[in-house]
Amino acid sequence: MFTYCWLILIAPVTGFIVLSWYGNQISRERAGLLGCGTVGVSFAVTLAALSELVLDSENKGGVSTLYNWVTAGSFSLDLSILIDPLSIFMLLIVTGVGFVIHVYSVGYMKEDPEFSRFFAYLNLFIFAMSVLVLAADFFFLIVGWALVGLASYLLIGFWREKTSAVLAARKAFVMNVIGDVGMVIAAFIIFEHLGTLSYLDVFAAAGSAFRPNDDTILLITLFLLVGAFAKSAQVPLHTWLPDAMEGPTPVSALIHAATMVTAGVYLVARCHVLFDLAPYTMYLVAGVGLITAIFAGSMALVQYDIKRVIAYSTMSQLGYMFLAAGLGMYSIAMFHLMTHAFFKALLFLSAGSVIHGLNDEQDIRKMGGLRHAMPITHVTFLIGSLALAGFPLTAGFFSKEAIIINSYHAEMGNIFFWAIAVLGAAMTGFYIFRVYFYTFIGQARTDVHAHESPFIMIAPLLLLAFFSLTAGFGGGMVDEFLVTYLGTHMPHPHDPLLETIGVSAGLLGIAGAVGLYMTGKDRLDFAKQMLAPVYDLLFNKYYIDEIYDILIVQPVRATGAFLKERGERLGIDFTVDQVGIQIREVSRLISLWQSGNVRSYAFNMIVGVVVVLMFVVFQ
Amino acid sequence: MLTLIVFIPLVAVLILLFVNKEDTGTIKSVSVGAAGLSLLISLALLVRFDSMEPGMQFTETFAWVPIFNINYQMGVDGISLWLLVLTAFISFIAVCFSLDRKEGFRNFMALLLALEAGTLGVFVALDLILFYVFWELMLVPTYFLIGIWGEGRRIYATTKFVLYTLVGSLLMLVGIIWLSLIHFEATHELTFDIQTLVHMNIDPGTQLWLFLFFFTAFAIKVPIFPLHSWLPHAYVSSPIPVLLILTGAMSKAGAYGIIRFCIPLFPDAVEQFGLVIAFGAAAGIVYGAWIAIAQRDLKALVAYSSISHLGFIALGVFALNGEGIEGSVLQMVNHGIIASALFIIVGILEKKMGTRNLNDFRGLGKVMPVLYGMFMLITLAALGLPGLNGFVGEFLILMGVWTSQLLADLSTIYVLMGGLAIVFASIYMLYMFQGAMQEKNDQIPETLTDINRGEFSLLLPACILVIIIGLYPKPIIDRISPSVESVLTIEKTLNLHTGEDKGGHH
Repeated sequence: MFTYCWLILIAPVTGFIVLSWYGNQISRERAGLLGCGTVGVSFAVTLAALSELVLDSENKGGVSTLYNWVTAGSFSLDLSILIDPLSIFMLLIVTGVGFVIHVYSVGYMKEDPEFSRFFAYLNLFIFAMSVLVLAADFFFLIVGWALVGLASYLLIGFWREKTSAVLAARKAFVMNVIGDVGMVIAAFIIFEHLGTLSYLDVFAAAGSAFRPNDDTILLITLFLLVGAFAKSAQVPLHTWLPDAMEGPTPVSALIHAATMVTAGVYLVARCHVLFDLAPYTMYLVAGVGLITAIFAGSMALVQYDIKRVIAYSTMSQLGYMFLAAGLGMYSIAMFHLMTHAFFKALLFLSAGSVIHGLNDEQDIRKMGGLRHAMPITHVTFLIGSLALAGFPLTAGFFSKEAIIINSYHAEMGNIFFWAIAVLGAAMTGFYIFRVYFYTFIGQARTDVHAHESPFIMIAPLLLLAFFSLTAGFGGGMVDEFLVTYLGTHMPHPHDPLLETIGVSAGLLGIAGAVGLYMTGKDRLDFAKQMLAPVYDLLFNKYYIDEIYDILIVQPVRATGAFLKERGERLGIDFTVDQVGIQIREVSRLISLWQSGNVRSYAFNMIVGVVVVLMFVVFQ
Repeated sequence: MLTLIVFIPLVAVLILLFVNKEDTGTIKSVSVGAAGLSLLISLALLVRFDSMEPGMQFTETFAWVPIFNINYQMGVDGISLWLLVLTAFISFIAVCFSLDRKEGFRNFMALLLALEAGTLGVFVALDLILFYVFWELMLVPTYFLIGIWGEGRRIYATTKFVLYTLVGSLLMLVGIIWLSLIHFEATHELTFDIQTLVHMNIDPGTQLWLFLFFFTAFAIKVPIFPLHSWLPHAYVSSPIPVLLILTGAMSKAGAYGIIRFCIPLFPDAVEQFGLVIAFGAAAGIVYGAWIAIAQRDLKALVAYSSISHLGFIALGVFALNGEGIEGSVLQMVNHGIIASALFIIVGILEKKMGTRNLNDFRGLGKVMPVLYGMFMLITLAALGLPGLNGFVGEFLILMGVWTSQLLADLSTIYVLMGGLAIVFASIYMLYMFQGAMQEKNDQIPETLTDINRGEFSLLLPACILVIIIGLYPKPIIDRISPSVESVLTIEKTLNLHTGEDKGGHH
């Protein structure tokens, strides 16, 4: 039925193979064309599948199977993909935003000597992400899950001569492997209890197999969450994401903002049948999301690296998505996922345009006054900031306000959740406009002569800016499209008071930034002095990296060294050698009666065998 | 066919003894020819293998020592098939990798081929005495290969290896004789035919001893923690080609022995000891990985990672179910491919840089783009990236452990230990790959060049197999499955307590 959808996977992987094999033999133009073209094909095919689902309301999608992949013992698995509203919705974002970012990268990476390798990796990412989304079972979900991790690793460490990039890539990879292991264990538990890993069978059987909140379902959802939290950089598995900004900026936009890091949210939505059975876990999802939302938001308040601020912002917004999902509002989570993909990609790409224009400067203290030199980038960054801050009628307004208001009105919601969510919204407005003022307003603080980016980079910005302004009005359509899978409609509680407070929080944050960064330095210095201890704590990211280093990294290394030097050499090896030495001593005494070594060995051997045999025979 | 595969290398050894030591051309063509021919025939065997048949195929039987009814008896099933092909493949690579040796070239080649023959024989022998002969035949060439051409503390290493292994194999010899005596007592017919003996229902008390005799030999060979301490010395001292066969092929003999002999012969003892042995295996998985993190010597690092991966294989076997054992057999093939490719890379790096210390490497990827790509692929396979072959094996093994009835009490802990080791694997493999190939290095010797055509073609098969098996393991698993099922469901038709008159079971 949906056999043609395999093209979504085949196109980018073809691009990856050709570019990595022949990359250095073809011209940049062709490499760029191939890289973008393959993703364009995937996008077109996704659109075709979308139209099929939308035009025929009876059509709820289906599974397309290629062949039996493996059968071992009682475990059997087909190679198949699942086409349904949720996967197509997610794919639209992945291939659509992915395509736009591919085009942008042609301009951004123009000077890079390894242009084609970059596009090879980007194609690999699109392929991996499509595997993740299209998987029809937990096994290929894990395969895609790990492959996006690989693509992320390769792209973070793309500038492989840069030590910080190499280290950041390794950190991201290892933390994500922790998540992968969690997912694998979740798959084991599912298989143990249901005998299958196929989504449709698992979800169909789950309701009768598990009682709500019974141990098994809690374990399954918890282990799934290890994967989701690692991939989506939620506390406490978040420290890799800020470091991941070592990669080229289009990578940050595509992988570490719009698509890959949202996989955790997608996972919860995909497995909502399981999560619905585990309300305890749902509280955890909402709680961790909420904590991450303000935790990351607070760190974003004081960073000076333009990309890191946006990275913390991404963590924070992912926290909002988990909050929504944890409260059972999957369609709102997916809606925010979509709007966030637009405005966060826009922010990253605009930041990339700034970095590009300033010859790779990322420190906002060295920027300033760029609104004159880069007028279009200025406007697009502003639009992105407004959308992120939830300014009325922008895309972020609709999706974020829906989350905030429902964090009180949802069945599991309460005033406490709501208050923290509002606090986070205020932070959001503050930190993003802090960056905006530093970067575009005021006087230039560097000698570099900034220049506007070329058209091939500007066009994607304009397109994303358009969606950042308008996508919010598509909430109803998203809801209607996803309801066949998610089962519930978006709630629309009416509560003017809370709505007003929620919206004003974002505006208040913006106003705060205006107050501190537009109207004089004195107040800023005063605020910094007053809050010095807090400021240090935030600036040093709560010392989480240092704590992990002391609690985990160092002990692991020390234990390894200990085992190597002591356990192995002085423990096991020594014992074995002692056994040998003692035997040699004894046999030396015996061999005094023997004339030659060879004979004595032979004699000993024969005696030994005979003695044991006699024992056997006469026992 | 099996006789051809096993004896072509041995014939080549004989020919080599009559070739002039200086005549490197002839030596090369004889040894490459023999190893290549063996590989080709084994591939033909693979094609003609009937995947639906669980029992032994291509069997050959000749009387050898008729008085004791010892037969020259060979055959392959779905389990040994892959190990046979793997051994022929790795040996061919090893022979090709040693072609530029200078000192004692002829003798080195002769011993290498003898080692190949011994290892091949172990996987096809169906008569216990024949099995034992091949088992010891693996040992002798290794002793000289490491002792003469090794490096570092080679005498210590090789003596330790041989004595350690000998302890195990002599116990096994006792076990073999005892086993056939039991059969003789029951049926008054002496046999060493494993296919007959497995149907014997042995009294559990006796099983326990017999199991220990056999198992010690196999556990040392694998090695299962804490019997592993010969391995790092032997691996580090060993010349790379020998190491390829040691790790790629010979290390599989232990796990193979457990599947072929211990499980069908002594099921009660296996159930009794399974939990403890699995703990040793799981401990070894973590232990090896943990030490690998602390290693800076590339050879030692890969050696300890091998201990970890071989622990996975042993653990899967003691899951005692289809998923676990099939995963283990697949993982034997995977580990053979991956570890040998890693050691080839280490060998290449050492040859080019004159050192194996990771601290002396940095940023080589810039001048060696081809090696960079291949090294990365093998690294990813070794750390178990989904989509490549290592993952399929580890997934099946851990799934087998998770659902295992035998390990039920501790299966969760074992799986978590495996998971920890997988995280560790990503750490030490990336240390190794990134440390050697990435970052900036201004002091790369100008003479340093990328790998040549020959080295490329040695690594290429591994790179291709890593991807193909990762994408589509079914053809392999489908041939393993029936045989594993038959090992697990062996029928004990010969009951010793009541069946003394039933003798002559054939």
